[in-house]
Amino acid sequence: MKYYGGCDVGSTYTKAVILDETGKIAASTIQRSKINAAESSRLAMQTCVDAVPGLRSPEDLAYIIGTGYGRNRVPFAAENVSEISCHAMGVHITDPTVRAIIDIGGQDVKGIAVAEDGTVKNFAMNDKCAAGTGRFYEAMARSFEMTLEEFSNLSLKAKSAIPITAQCTVFAESEVIALVGEGKAPEEIAAGIQMAVAKRCFVMAKKAGAVNQITLTGGCAKNAGLKKAIEKVLKIKVVELAVDPQLMGALGAAEFARRKGGAR
Amino acid sequence: MRDLKYRVFFENLLSDVKNELVDAALSDGKLALGYSCYYVPEVLLNLGGCFSVRMRAPGIADTAIATYYMSEKTCMYSRSILERAIEGGYNFFSALLSTETCGMMHRSHEHFEMLNLVKEVNENFFVSHIDSPFITKDYAVKHYEKQLKKHILDRLNEVYGVDVSEEALRKAIAEHNELCRVVTEIGNLRKQENPPLTGYEFHLIELVSECCPHDLILPYLKETLEELKTRQPDEKPWYRVRVVLAGGENDDPDFTKLIEDAGAFVVADRYCFGSLPGREEIVIGENETALSAVARHYIETNQCPRFMNPEKVHGRKAYLKQLADDYRADGLIIQQMKFCEYWEYERMYCQQVMESEYGLPCMGIEKEYVNTSTGQLRTRFQAFVESLEIKKLSGEAAK
Repeated sequence: MKYYGGCDVGSTYTKAVILDETGKIAASTIQRSKINAAESSRLAMQTCVDAVPGLRSPEDLAYIIGTGYGRNRVPFAAENVSEISCHAMGVHITDPTVRAIIDIGGQDVKGIAVAEDGTVKNFAMNDKCAAGTGRFYEAMARSFEMTLEEFSNLSLKAKSAIPITAQCTVFAESEVIALVGEGKAPEEIAAGIQMAVAKRCFVMAKKAGAVNQITLTGGCAKNAGLKKAIEKVLKIKVVELAVDPQLMGALGAAEFARRKGGAR
Repeated sequence: MRDLKYRVFFENLLSDVKNELVDAALSDGKLALGYSCYYVPEVLLNLGGCFSVRMRAPGIADTAIATYYMSEKTCMYSRSILERAIEGGYNFFSALLSTETCGMMHRSHEHFEMLNLVKEVNENFFVSHIDSPFITKDYAVKHYEKQLKKHILDRLNEVYGVDVSEEALRKAIAEHNELCRVVTEIGNLRKQENPPLTGYEFHLIELVSECCPHDLILPYLKETLEELKTRQPDEKPWYRVRVVLAGGENDDPDFTKLIEDAGAFVVADRYCFGSLPGREEIVIGENETALSAVARHYIETNQCPRFMNPEKVHGRKAYLKQLADDYRADGLIIQQMKFCEYWEYERMYCQQVMESEYGLPCMGIEKEYVNTSTGQLRTRFQAFVESLEIKKLSGEAAK
């Protein structure tokens, strides 16, 4: 049996997936990124390799593709593909009905329109500041002295949302601290934050030309409060994926590797 | 491909506005004349005893002082020019020829006067401002001609005694045309399927032709042209797709390199000014003076988004489509500097029109003057290359 690998070295987390010849996921992992992208990729891929009987090192894989911001530094990758194409492919093989993706990663937000064959029709990207990204959520959770998971669920209990005017992460953190100091209900502040981010996502999705059948990928896709806010803002039901949405980039890279490596 | 003989030399020339060729011309007693807009005809700054210098601010890291004077809501290019001037980077200038084309750059140039820049080391230094038309009617060309005479030729003659006679102008045009022919011939090599130069290399060549005294850079350009005629490209083209790079001011070859590193060969460059437009020969018509020909030429070839008459507005899109056809481009990248008052609108409009009316895949980029956030830009360019590649493959399969 031949195996194919995809390694998505993100700014916050490194994800790796191994597919077998049939396209079935043989192993996957999500690990906190190290400062050195090459080391992050080796650790993640080795974790996957260790989970597949018969494999000992990444070099035993038939073909590997790197993706993510550190894609150029994956030492064992035969080539690299942008995370935009990889997310589209990962989502397509997971659910071919999806036509649009909002990918919220550690340091940027992307809107991707997907064609029927899984290729990218169009994309838009917010990479100018950390607002609405994973880094933003980490800062917000810190303001509430909560874990990221606790903060993600906080807004679900809110009856109304307190609007957050600041878009900048630093200013938003100050605004939140001020609101907490005024004694405002934390869940309503959290709901305001989720609405502000959902509106940014709306812009990205619309810029990319997204219409319907939308899904979320990236680490923030697991944020239940954000998902609810996006459904409210976009007025559509977000498609749930059968595979961890944070793995979509790595999965897409592994699928590209399977198609390219298998065709060789 | 083997490295170009003068690649490193050209890169070094662009690392400082006052480069070794500028120094050589200054030591010959020539006058350095700065400009930063296509509306200031380069040819008029190359009359006998003078040479033009396109204003750049290579390696600028911080524009704190210029931001104090101009506010942070102005484009980084105009602030970078002012900051470099405050640092003393243009103290070798004899004059700055300005135009009120772009409000932000005009403010930047006004500060040369308000802050007494350059003048404190050269008391004859002056800043002269042209009122530029943004329509193409005959009376507008006439007005422009008068402005060129009054604010460039007359000032140079009055202050420095520069010969601005018809004969001197015709000589300057002839020399200018020779430089244009060489640069254009080099640029045309990019039309080949497997060209002997990259877009990055052409960007270097084009920029040194604007940033160095023409008589001193021309021998190097001619030698480079001869080298390129026999330069063997690698057997297989290095690029994945071909793109036209359009947009506002771009004097940063590293930006072109970033695009090419993602697999897109920049086959044609259409900026505020550069080679397209910029390196077309000036033809003096019958019954026309040299100055009339210059005025007409710079209005006719001008692709500035400041022009709002319908022929120019639609013509700019048709021009891009023509470039894409001539240079066999698969797509178009339009870059715009943040806060650029003209290109902000032009980019959005262009993206729509080029895709919907001309069927040319298009990508828009908002950038800073200094190339920052290269990681994010690289991802965007690579994703665009991948999407163009797939479209290309699908198109070939359909055939």
